[in-house]
Amino acid sequence: MESYLVAILTVAGIYTILALALNLQFGLTGLINFGVVGFYGLGAYASGISTETFHMPFVGGLVVAMIVGSIGGALVALLSLRLSGDFLAIVTLGFAETIRLVFNNEDWLTRGPSGFSIMTRPVIDGLTRQGNAWFVLGVIALAATIIFALMWRLSRTPYGRVLRAIREDDLVPSTLGKNIFVYRLQAFVLGSAIMAGAGSLYAHYVQTITPENFTTPVAILVWMSVIVGGAGNMIGSVLGALAVVFIYEGTRFIGPWLTMLDAEQISALRFIIIGTALILMIRFRPEGLLPEASQRPAEAAPHISASEGSHR
Amino acid sequence: MIQMIINTLASAAIVAPAAVAFTLVFTLFRYANFAVGGFVTIGAFAAWTFNVPLGLPLWVSGIGAMIFCAFAFAASDRLVFRALRGRSGGTLLLVSIALSFVLENILRFIYGAQLKSFDLPLTGPIVISGIRITRETMAVVSVSLLAILAVGAILVFTPLGRALRAVADNPSLANVRGLPVPRVETFGIAIAGAMLGLSGTLVGVDLAIDPNLNWAVTIPIIAAAIVGGLGSPIGAAAGAILIGAAEELTVAFLSPTYKGAVGFAVIALVLILRPQGLLGDKVDRK
Repeated sequence: MESYLVAILTVAGIYTILALALNLQFGLTGLINFGVVGFYGLGAYASGISTETFHMPFVGGLVVAMIVGSIGGALVALLSLRLSGDFLAIVTLGFAETIRLVFNNEDWLTRGPSGFSIMTRPVIDGLTRQGNAWFVLGVIALAATIIFALMWRLSRTPYGRVLRAIREDDLVPSTLGKNIFVYRLQAFVLGSAIMAGAGSLYAHYVQTITPENFTTPVAILVWMSVIVGGAGNMIGSVLGALAVVFIYEGTRFIGPWLTMLDAEQISALRFIIIGTALILMIRFRPEGLLPEASQRPAEAAPHISASEGSHR
Repeated sequence: MIQMIINTLASAAIVAPAAVAFTLVFTLFRYANFAVGGFVTIGAFAAWTFNVPLGLPLWVSGIGAMIFCAFAFAASDRLVFRALRGRSGGTLLLVSIALSFVLENILRFIYGAQLKSFDLPLTGPIVISGIRITRETMAVVSVSLLAILAVGAILVFTPLGRALRAVADNPSLANVRGLPVPRVETFGIAIAGAMLGLSGTLVGVDLAIDPNLNWAVTIPIIAAAIVGGLGSPIGAAAGAILIGAAEELTVAFLSPTYKGAVGFAVIALVLILRPQGLLGDKVDRK
């Protein structure tokens, strides 16, 4: 039971990082990235290949993953950021699918569908098996905390306010002389690098990655975390990711009671529940459980209604 | 060479009706509905259910699947999308992806993951001077062509079609002029649903039916619709042929495994070079 709890918490930590990164891109800046799993997978494979094929230490793999993630993010962004919202979404989705085909087919690099196994772990010598699990959880929790602190700080800086302004209406910040393309590019690249970093942590945690680890269900869970938590609210993303992972993992336990269903049906049922919940959430509470704090001007003039901060 | 053209037409014939449906929804409501692949898969399973467990002939099953999908698609609009009219395109896109995910898993829940296929008699291909063409391919291409021409004719020549185009063009003006906008929209959605059901039946003739069809068909459908300019059924059909040709070329000269990436590559190219699509007028986006 303890090891199961540690495992859930570790996964929750990784999803927290992914959700924070997506919240930077979508919640703050309004960029719709459906390619979350593309950057996540890119980081996982980049890190795995660095440590196994090129014998780098774990930290080296993490750095390579984030660099590769930034380059990937920059390419996708340069290709598509000028497009309006939903076209960007389609291009990012295409990126994720194409990347997964590459993982599947370039056996010489990724060992294809049979999976890439990774021996390097972010642990110190001399720990028990249980101790190792706790140590990995600690590393991931530390990473999640750092990313959270960074994002939380960033969302309160003038820089974060410009990102919000771009999300609401990019005409206003561009009139104020802000180069909105550069801001969007930076937000997208930073988010992609963080997602790739999460991929690296995941790869060294599970130690065997296959292209199947980076499919749409993962993206749905991350989106669900951001939407449930409240787009634009960093604390919301953390709580959202924790809630989503606990619900998702928790529904494993309903299996034994539903004896008339086979494993395939139970897995399908979990996805039906999650997808339906996401639709209902967008329908009835689009601002999330923890809405973004409305950014009131210092001296709010009574006749100007402050923006409620929910995305349009 | 001619073999490649036949293969292109065969895959285009499967994709085209669904691309017409996607285009119809886009022109009516201005959002990209990624759940179209889910409904095509539902169509395939509906046709299979009529055809194999119930033992009906395939053409009856196909019509059944079209009717079923028309209702299912209209229901999805009523339950999910109607309440979200006016939300941003990105939100609707996210909702439609979630919906397609739910639909796929409902099918998996009901039917399991085993591959299914229609009860079709095995017929040898007709060989004309070295070119192989199966009877199924000929049937698929002609049915698809007829269906697209029928939708085109409905849009151009019937009063309902004119109403549909008017609503797509300017819903408030159409409303002011006394058109029953919600009913016209429902009619458009039902036609789109029927086209998705038809695509589902046709895809089942060609490929094995399983819930994973969803993603496999979604990408070519949307690519075809975007390449076709998101404006007219003929454009969508032309887009389907172009995507089919690009896929065939990829299989022939690059690697069959990257066939799945072709749709996206073409979408990316089109969006970057010509945001309004190859054919069709520039659509005002909300």
